[in-house]
Amino acid sequence: MAYPISRSKVLREWRLYFFVVPSLLMVLTFAYFPAVSAVYHSFFDWSGGEAKQFIGWDNFKRAFTDSTLLMSFATVGALMIFNLIKMIPSILLAVLIHRLTSNRWQYAYRALLVVPMIVPQLVTLFIWKFILDPNLGALNGVIEATGLKHVLVAINDFFGWGVFFEGVPIGWLSQPELILPALFIWGFPWIGTVGVLIYLAGLQSIGQEVYEAAELDGIGPFKKFIYIELPLILTQIRLSLVLLIIGTLGGYGLQLLLLNEYGGPGGRGMVPGLWMYNRAFVAGEFGYACSIGMILFSVILTLTFINNRYVRVDK
Amino acid sequence: MSAAVIKPARLHKKRDWPKHAIIWSFLLIEMFPLYMMFQVSFKDNASFIAQPWLPLSPEDWKWSNWLFAIKLIGPYLANTVFVAVTGTFCSLSLAILAAYFFARHKLPFSGVIWSAFLVLMLLPSVANIVPLFMLLKSMSLLNTLLALIVVGVAAGQVFNIFVLRNFIEDLPKDLFEAAEMDGASHFQQVINVVIPMASPIIGTLAILSFLSSWNDFLLPLIILRDKELFTLGVGLIYLDGEYVKPWGQIMASYFLASIPLIIIFLFTMRLFVRGLSAGAIKG
Repeated sequence: MAYPISRSKVLREWRLYFFVVPSLLMVLTFAYFPAVSAVYHSFFDWSGGEAKQFIGWDNFKRAFTDSTLLMSFATVGALMIFNLIKMIPSILLAVLIHRLTSNRWQYAYRALLVVPMIVPQLVTLFIWKFILDPNLGALNGVIEATGLKHVLVAINDFFGWGVFFEGVPIGWLSQPELILPALFIWGFPWIGTVGVLIYLAGLQSIGQEVYEAAELDGIGPFKKFIYIELPLILTQIRLSLVLLIIGTLGGYGLQLLLLNEYGGPGGRGMVPGLWMYNRAFVAGEFGYACSIGMILFSVILTLTFINNRYVRVDK
Repeated sequence: MSAAVIKPARLHKKRDWPKHAIIWSFLLIEMFPLYMMFQVSFKDNASFIAQPWLPLSPEDWKWSNWLFAIKLIGPYLANTVFVAVTGTFCSLSLAILAAYFFARHKLPFSGVIWSAFLVLMLLPSVANIVPLFMLLKSMSLLNTLLALIVVGVAAGQVFNIFVLRNFIEDLPKDLFEAAEMDGASHFQQVINVVIPMASPIIGTLAILSFLSSWNDFLLPLIILRDKELFTLGVGLIYLDGEYVKPWGQIMASYFLASIPLIIIFLFTMRLFVRGLSAGAIKG
């Protein structure tokens, strides 16, 4: 019964298929083809030219004994923990803005939050590179001016780190030991505009009367956060987590710009994505780079899956 | 009655000031790099080292930094605007048509095609970049702006179609039926019904697409070789590679790179704020 109807409809509406063809062609060419090609070439010894040689699993075997790659996964693990911590200020700020009684101020702050977005991300990165500059940078200026330098030197002498010295500017991006701390500090106070707006959207469903009722019950600000606000933004937090996993594991623009294609001095800032970039465009080992990409892809997929499976949101 | 209303409001006002203070301190630190960028852009290295924090008085401002920046960045800006505008326009045109296809009728295979698009959301672009480079090489698109446009269009399809499909499906069916009665073809329905009705969401998507194109620097860095073709991203990276850094000129260039976004931001403030919140809920 349904068949002839849909058939006549197809005959009438077949032109509609032309509407999806351009999009589909674009996606097939520039998204599906490269993906399939990456899987295919990860089994080849290939330096980008016509000549390539099938070597089976050798690229993957090499990857699992590649000390740089293994180190880079440790580094990216640390960065992931940093980024988890860096989520907190955005959540706090969103809650603070939401608790304001004046709707006008709420809108004004939302608008002000968007202002930093007018600066291209690349420029933000370069400005941070400038802030971290040993001689001219604002960070060292603040550390010297507040006397924090003496504290750091004292701690350094106590533990014998050999990192901070009196009278020597701190080379945040040039001393191997300081690369990870520098990658933590950059972006302070770590407000992500998109993040805050996401959380605010989640909080919108809490009305003022909920707060008034809570106040009548004598619930403090911290408990309010745990019992009223946090449950409502869990969906958004999960979304941020997914974005964070994908962004941190796959990202390498930050390291490429702040440091260099070797992950800075001592390779302390090397992340898997950067190593892939390095192998492909510095060393010309395109086959090996593809297999690093595949490994990275499986790790990202697994983590995203675990996140969706276990960070549950009860509606 | 009125006293009862006013009193709690006053109480709230009183309790709100610490929140305002904390929010402002967050915002001020967040804005500090912007301030530095602005004030350093008028200094030469000597006056910057003498007084890094405070701005110079306006009569000492070195406008030559800005002249240098305009000469240097101008061509890059033009390239970037060309790529971003063309890319955004093509991306949205294709996405509107495709979204119309999915939203209007359920034709055979449309489910399959839909899932083909959705799967791409799982695919991280990081694994793709090496084969993409080789593909562009074999299409002899390396070192062209066209490559940036087509890759950008392809990358934006999934998200744009996803959002637009939901929106078009929510439009009242009567509108389409009425248009059909008048003998409008599907293309005419897109032009005369979908685009006017969906203009706010199209505007938001256009801004997001423009922003992502503006912010992209990895692909241009890999693809572009000729100085005349550089987009902002690559241009600024090469500027950063100079040995002796004239900070004033560099900061003026950075500021100049932000100006087009500032203009867009001024005109589309509402779309910006709302679009980001709404897009966030959907995603």
